[in-house]
Amino acid sequence: MNPQPVPTVDPVQRVRVWYALLIVLFGIFALRLFYLQVIRHDYYKKAALSDQLKQYSIPAERGTISAQLGDSTVPIVLNQKLYTLYADPTVVKKPATVAAKLQPIIGGNVDDIKDQLSTKGTRYVVLQKKLTAAQSKRILSFKFPGVGTLEQDYRTYPQGNLASQLLGFVNANDKGEYGVEQALNHELAGTAGQLKAVTDINGVPLAASSDNVSTAPVNGSNVDLTINIGMQAQLERIINDENKTLKAKSINALIMDPYTGAIKAMANTPSYDPANYSQVSSADVFTNGTTSNAIEPGSIVKLLTTAAAINQGAIGPDSTFYDPGSWTIDGATIRDASADGDTSGTQSIGSTLNLSLNTGATWMLMQMGGGQINAKARNAWYDYMTKHFRLGLQTGIEQGYEAAGYVPSPQDNGAGINLTYANTSFGQGITATPVQMAAAIASILNGGTYYQPYLVQKVTTADGQTTVHQPKVLERNVVSPQTSQDMVNLMEYVIQQHIKEGFGYLNFGGKYNLGGKTGTAQIALPSGGYDPTHFNGTYAGWIGGDKPQYLVMIYTDKPQVLGNAGTSAGQLIFGNIAHMLVNDFEVTPKSH
Amino acid sequence: MTYSNALAMGRQQTTMRGQNSVSFRVQDKRLGPVSNTIVLIVLACLLGLLYLTQVTKTNAYGYKINSLQQQQASLQQQHDDLTVASAREQSLAQVASSPEAAAMTPTTPSGSVQ
Repeated sequence: MNPQPVPTVDPVQRVRVWYALLIVLFGIFALRLFYLQVIRHDYYKKAALSDQLKQYSIPAERGTISAQLGDSTVPIVLNQKLYTLYADPTVVKKPATVAAKLQPIIGGNVDDIKDQLSTKGTRYVVLQKKLTAAQSKRILSFKFPGVGTLEQDYRTYPQGNLASQLLGFVNANDKGEYGVEQALNHELAGTAGQLKAVTDINGVPLAASSDNVSTAPVNGSNVDLTINIGMQAQLERIINDENKTLKAKSINALIMDPYTGAIKAMANTPSYDPANYSQVSSADVFTNGTTSNAIEPGSIVKLLTTAAAINQGAIGPDSTFYDPGSWTIDGATIRDASADGDTSGTQSIGSTLNLSLNTGATWMLMQMGGGQINAKARNAWYDYMTKHFRLGLQTGIEQGYEAAGYVPSPQDNGAGINLTYANTSFGQGITATPVQMAAAIASILNGGTYYQPYLVQKVTTADGQTTVHQPKVLERNVVSPQTSQDMVNLMEYVIQQHIKEGFGYLNFGGKYNLGGKTGTAQIALPSGGYDPTHFNGTYAGWIGGDKPQYLVMIYTDKPQVLGNAGTSAGQLIFGNIAHMLVNDFEVTPKSH
Repeated sequence: MTYSNALAMGRQQTTMRGQNSVSFRVQDKRLGPVSNTIVLIVLACLLGLLYLTQVTKTNAYGYKINSLQQQQASLQQQHDDLTVASAREQSLAQVASSPEAAAMTPTTPSGSVQ
């Protein structure tokens, strides 16, 4: 019996089948890959990059701020990285143990820390702020679950509260607020950089990726102020010490170089700690009163009235006039507020300033109008106030929230414009800040040039380019050189008279020249009229040798003093400042 | 289909006139389509491997760069901290309360306001 032949499969045929299957399989793969990589290329690339491409903002370092110290500078605002300690109470184990370990490092009470670590219903509690790098490192070494630190940039102030209102602060959004920080925010802040990079699972950028984009940050510029740090500290000490007895609501004071407009010191009390700005009870304390406190300056404006009248030729420095004791203008009576009683009789320009005669200032305004207050007088005085002395205009000093003040229009408004203008001649009915008054008075002392007051001496960019501030002239021929010399002499005369009247603290034995003028200003009430019981005391003074070297401007807000606030408060502070300048800041003595 | 030039040489043998003609034929040794495919895949894999090693090597520099940047940031922070500490040590309040200041002899002031 023949065996049945076993059907055989041709091996070639079998290979061909496998080969065909392989080809089909590869074909499927190829098609699928073509679909994914070519047709859906954009979609998948975007999806991959959204996961792999990380975008980081590289913060720019904010510029530092320095003040003058002799021939060098000293930093008064720096940057420091500090750490915020936080915890996730839902993850923290054994809060009591963790609190006991943390307390010696962060301070505070162990039970309070434990309570915070046991807080229900939240996953984030802040245990402490502003920890140092060493503290942070020590805490992290414990490796407590749910406890971590967060790095944050802070402005730090090595000199504490010094010049706080002048400096301002940087808020939580890294924006400068008040003072130099606000005015120069753009220059100080710099420009943040950017890093867009494909990263690995650890977030480390892959060096080989062509999708990486890196833009380096441009750090902020460093700013050197004109402020002399020693003078600033002493000015702050003086106004703080004096205010213990004066009990003024606030005191604003500044010292300026009248020949350049450079501010040497600028102080306010009360003050605050810029490193803890969020802890102040009232935001009013943030404002730099020397540039934002626009009030009726009172009789220091008589210096401007006198300078304008002399410069216009309406009066001479030696003119005399009969003071009737009062003037009636627009139905109202203008009287003197002099502490010397009845001042009627013949008066001079010098005695008008020394006795601070409102009637004398009104008479000067009358002379500018040919003998009476009229449109000619108003227009001439308005022109001097706004175009020569630049009242009613911001000075442009590098400070946030600078006030412009107010000067009434000379146009007849049918509501007693002549009376209003008579008031302006002795510093009522207009408002001006201390820095505006200082700049205006500087212009009548330095020969007639109005320099823009400034605080920034030098700006150095991150790449080392330096811009040195040059004094900027805003007005020339404010008054003639002769009028300027007359005003210097008249202000010296006032000081000499005050020394004779018993203010011995103004006596420097003839070694130095001093000039000054008091102001006791009525305070306008929001409801209209003036406060009958309180006054502001202001003072404009200078000290130097053959010419004014330091100009001092002081505003005291409602000092609790008897009598003339300009003398009892303003002049008292000026006396202290003058001695401080002579003792410590090389006032040049007179040459003869 | 691709043939190797070397293996195809045998087909070009010829006989000369008067020469005893002996048929000779070298058996063709050709790579088949499967072999070719495998060779190509292996080559592609080698190229891929080469690419991956180079990319990995380059990306390893990312860690080195990252480490150096962290070191730079750390040193910068130390510098900033020291600058702050130095400025604090030189602050007016610190200087005024220093033993050196306490040991100084006061000079006669010009006067004071009473």
